[in-house]
Amino acid sequence: MNGPLIVQSDKSLLLEVDHEQAAECRRAIAPFAELERSPEHIHTYRLTPLGLWNARAAGHDAEQVVDTLLAYSRYAVPHSLLVDVAETMARYGRLRLEKHPVHGLVLATTDRPVLEEVLRAKKIAGMLGSRIDEDTVAVHPSERGNLKQALLKLGWPAEDFAGYVDGEAHAIDLTPDGWELRTYQEEAAESFWHGGSGVVVLPCGAGKTIVGAAAMAHARATTLILVTNTVSARQWKDELVRRTSLTADEIGEYSGAVKEIRPVTIATYQVMTTRRKGVYPHLELFDARDWGLIVYDEVHLLPAPIFRMTADLQARRRIGLTATLVREDGREGDVFSLIGPKRYDAPWKDIEAQGWIAPADCVEVRVTLPDAVRLAYATAEPEERYRLAACTREKVAVTRELVERHRGQPTLVIGQYLEQLEELAEALDAPVITGATTVKERQRLYAAFRHGEIDLLVVSKVANFSIDLPSAEVAIQVSGSFGSRQEEAQRLGRLLRPGDPGPHGERKVARFYTLVSRDTVDAEFAQNRQRFLAEQGYAYRIVDADDIGALS
Amino acid sequence: MSRLLADRPDLTTPAPHDFSQLASRAAVRSSLARALDSLTRGELSVIDALVVAGQTTDSELIAMVRAEPSYVVSALARLRALALAWDSPEGLRPLSGVADCLTGGPETGRSGLRPRSADAPPLDVLRTRIDELSEPARAMLEHVLEQGGEATAGSARRTVRPEDAATPAEELLSRALLVPGRDDVLVLPGEVGVALRDGCTTTEPVDAEPTLATAERPTRLTEGAAAGAALEFCRRTELLLEWWSTRPAAALRTGGLGVRELKAASAHLQLSEVETALVVETAHAAGLIATRADGDGNPVWVPTDAFDAWLATDVAARWVVLARAWAASARLPSLVGGRGADDKPWAALGPELASALMPETRAMTLAALGEVPPGHALASGTGLPSLVALLAWRRPRRPRSRADQVAWTVAEAAAIGVTGLDALSPYGRALAAGEDPVPLLAALLPEPVDHVLIQADLTAVAPGPLEPDVARSLQLVADVESRGAATVYRFSASSLRRALDAGWTAREVHAFLAAVSRTPVPQPLTYLVDDAVRTFGQVRVGFAEAFVRSDDEAALAALVHHPKAASLGLRLIAPTVLVSTTPVDLLLVRLRELGVAPVVEGPDGTVRVGRPDELRARTPKPRGAGQQEARLAVQVAAAVRALRAGDQAAQVRPAAAVSPAGALSALRDAIERRAAVVIGFTDNQGVVGERVVEPLSVEGGQLTAHDRTADDVRTFAVHRISRVTPLP
Repeated sequence: MNGPLIVQSDKSLLLEVDHEQAAECRRAIAPFAELERSPEHIHTYRLTPLGLWNARAAGHDAEQVVDTLLAYSRYAVPHSLLVDVAETMARYGRLRLEKHPVHGLVLATTDRPVLEEVLRAKKIAGMLGSRIDEDTVAVHPSERGNLKQALLKLGWPAEDFAGYVDGEAHAIDLTPDGWELRTYQEEAAESFWHGGSGVVVLPCGAGKTIVGAAAMAHARATTLILVTNTVSARQWKDELVRRTSLTADEIGEYSGAVKEIRPVTIATYQVMTTRRKGVYPHLELFDARDWGLIVYDEVHLLPAPIFRMTADLQARRRIGLTATLVREDGREGDVFSLIGPKRYDAPWKDIEAQGWIAPADCVEVRVTLPDAVRLAYATAEPEERYRLAACTREKVAVTRELVERHRGQPTLVIGQYLEQLEELAEALDAPVITGATTVKERQRLYAAFRHGEIDLLVVSKVANFSIDLPSAEVAIQVSGSFGSRQEEAQRLGRLLRPGDPGPHGERKVARFYTLVSRDTVDAEFAQNRQRFLAEQGYAYRIVDADDIGALS
Repeated sequence: MSRLLADRPDLTTPAPHDFSQLASRAAVRSSLARALDSLTRGELSVIDALVVAGQTTDSELIAMVRAEPSYVVSALARLRALALAWDSPEGLRPLSGVADCLTGGPETGRSGLRPRSADAPPLDVLRTRIDELSEPARAMLEHVLEQGGEATAGSARRTVRPEDAATPAEELLSRALLVPGRDDVLVLPGEVGVALRDGCTTTEPVDAEPTLATAERPTRLTEGAAAGAALEFCRRTELLLEWWSTRPAAALRTGGLGVRELKAASAHLQLSEVETALVVETAHAAGLIATRADGDGNPVWVPTDAFDAWLATDVAARWVVLARAWAASARLPSLVGGRGADDKPWAALGPELASALMPETRAMTLAALGEVPPGHALASGTGLPSLVALLAWRRPRRPRSRADQVAWTVAEAAAIGVTGLDALSPYGRALAAGEDPVPLLAALLPEPVDHVLIQADLTAVAPGPLEPDVARSLQLVADVESRGAATVYRFSASSLRRALDAGWTAREVHAFLAAVSRTPVPQPLTYLVDDAVRTFGQVRVGFAEAFVRSDDEAALAALVHHPKAASLGLRLIAPTVLVSTTPVDLLLVRLRELGVAPVVEGPDGTVRVGRPDELRARTPKPRGAGQQEARLAVQVAAAVRALRAGDQAAQVRPAAAVSPAGALSALRDAIERRAAVVIGFTDNQGVVGERVVEPLSVEGGQLTAHDRTADDVRTFAVHRISRVTPLP
């Protein structure tokens, strides 16, 4: 007994990274255990019902899981945990959603008491039709998603065998001229396609758009793509034109400005969730064509109304793309039941090791507030405190010093508060992009940045997502939306596109600075924000603002 | 003799006076039933055969039991040792009363045959008679035997010669294969049954003990699983009790643990409620928890001081304490969560959750598991039922809930770590055999480690059980995040502050981290430690009864140094503020004596003018009149009853008391006349007393009578009554 894995009774699994069997063990447990954090020595995985059901959905059974745990475990595995694993996994698939030749969509069971228990639940009653026989009950086709969601909450997740509509066929092929699909991208697209629907988790900068394109090439059908904002929509369009056989005419944009419906349509979350007089006027988009595939970009940001709309789309194939399944609102279960189980996941550090994303050096710079500001901070209203601490003037000087250090390297200054950003833009003499900047102006500035015409941009949170700025090497974060972990991950993600290697083959090393006011809520939030990245193996160094000169 | 008393311990309490008393006690129904309860089905079959045979010889009995002769011989030896069978001058006999105590069907070894008739013909004669029977008569005879040996006579003539028999019943009657019994009933004599069953009392062999269904399972796996469970069980006990030391669990009025407390505990331990109940019950059985009153006087469950001693020992020794307590405990923790007959939920630690037979079941289950050869375990699926069948064979008479009890024992043994994957662990074997399991268990537990791995996300992982010293120190500087074979710690500003509070210096913290970490200490942690040290002690808190403040710094300085102010405990904490350890009222007087003219500041900073307080007391409140009346009434009634009874006793005292030998007839006489008598008797404590009673009945050595002193119906043992005096 000297395996690399320690199984804790609280259902966490500790994997010793330096152990000779570590890689083998990681492959073995990855299908059923969720990677919770991966710092340098010991990675923590967790056994959750969702994870175990994901594994069941992928065709693993409880015996395999138990055998794997026993085989790699260093110490005896707690008996109660093994029993629990078996019981949890046995809950998946007792109920099945099926197509019945006569009655259409039905809920069938292999275990009658379970069906009886479920039928007695008040929430479920309205979604079901008449009882067909003792083991089968009819389901209103429109409730397919809601039913799956409700059954998951009851702890009896249903396996969906009702299949998908093919949608309107449309030829889409990848055109690998001068580039090719990376192994993990191909694996991700494959495992999505075999699973039917689901979520692919890849780090920022690892080419999630291409996974989306590969999925479309599998489906070869009309596709609806939902993205976070207009700039991102344009980038998707450019990328699809470059990577696939699609032409610009075949791709429509459906945003606040333009409303085109083409075989491949890219819509923003914002336009879909616009409400007028209590109705969503753009909801018909989902029915505008016989879509064969729906792509959700940045699925961790999916707004609640889209969840509700998605519940009605269960007959269509769905792929979700994201860098992290962490949702600040805790709706991971809804992603599981409505979009689908996790189909592919790769630790950031693994992809970095393969050279597909750049390594990063994260530094937290602690700024000491002057006494006058500390006094103002101490007496401020609680809701004002973060703003006060985050926007301190001291940060301007430190930012200038950092920009000076990296003069010549493309640098982004990212912040939350507009006054602060404008103050910085003025002090640094750099252009600023905020929500108020027109799309045209934004695109012009991004393009200039990409082509090296300008090497310093001050941006607000509009640049958090899906903005492709591969040349950026340095980011300086001056403030954020409180303690949001996924925002931190997104912002670091801006830097991780691997640039072209230097003349001597040296690789780009991204620099990520966070400016934090000492002894304030700013520091507390920063600690929370860093947790996700620290758990992904990105170690932060902490330095005092006065010691920046000593940084390597 | 001593073997008999050891095997039937109920005979010794209270110690019998002489052999005649011992003999009569051994023949009492309840004692007999208890002795029979301890027999296996095979032994019961032998005694059943003995009852059928009546008076017999060893060799005849051996022939009558369908089993290996050696088995019958050893069974007989046991029956003799238990005084259930004895050798009268005429031959081997069952103790009278045994026949009545044999109840149940074949599962308790009963053959269903009646005792032999006194004038039973020899076996071959009976065989000849049976062979002569017509087909229907033989079928009828066998049918009667299978149905319990009785039949109704109907119109059959009782006295008829074999050649005149007209019906099958008459055929049987004429050959004395059925004989008339009471009330029109025909019975089948035992010897006929024996003849029908080919000379034996049963058709099946009685010494066939069921075998356990086992499957091969590598010892490495089963031992590992058991040791893991043992470690886990100790850890959970420790976790729960440490939790209860700071947050005691409320006890129910009945002494149990409430459902809500159990739920909270099960959430804390991450166990199901039944498993949690097992932890709680075992800790209680081991004397690690007990009730005490909390601050409000309500009973709560908290760890005992034995818990501290327990914690000081190593894991293997801790486990043995728990496992021994469990094995000897009569408690039924597996019932927790279910509902009793009154539909009330069973509460853990509740008084009704016990069965006197549970320790025996546990011991027998472990013994049976111990018979499984190493490398084998109970087969999954069929193993448990076969274990139940085996135990049912070994103790067929009681308890009725045997199957449940065995299943609980198996589940509990797995949870505690006595077994692993349904195989008895080597140290479990030692436990069952009464040997010392500690070295065997210690060998299987993971080696303690003396280092941790500290990571940049401010966690530290101990990849195995930590040595106690390191664990204690680490628990001071970091919070435990996940427990198990390994432990995950998280460092935070507050955890580091805790270490500083305990008197650690920054250098000590750094040195400790560097010493226990096998990897370099990450920079963010070093920074965090320094940061915690930097803010530590920036704000200071002290003790003072009063403060003195003044804008005149010189005056305050003078006050501090005034020779007469030394006893006031004055201390300058700022140029304009003094604190004092003297209360305000006293300080005020003393300062005035020193020639200062202070005014008092209220809590809001305003000046108060001093003025003597005017004192008031609370109006005394009369006690509730009703309560007093009720108390008085009860006291009076009790006093009157006692007086009357005492008076009656006094009246008759001079009259001659009836001698003890005549007590019974005097009592019967009193029952007839419905008169009251004074009895003198010795109670359980040996105290001689006197009671005025109205005897109601005398039965089975017990007098039932209305006791005037207690105003209630009581029973008295007749042999304890020394004299009976009729009341005039």
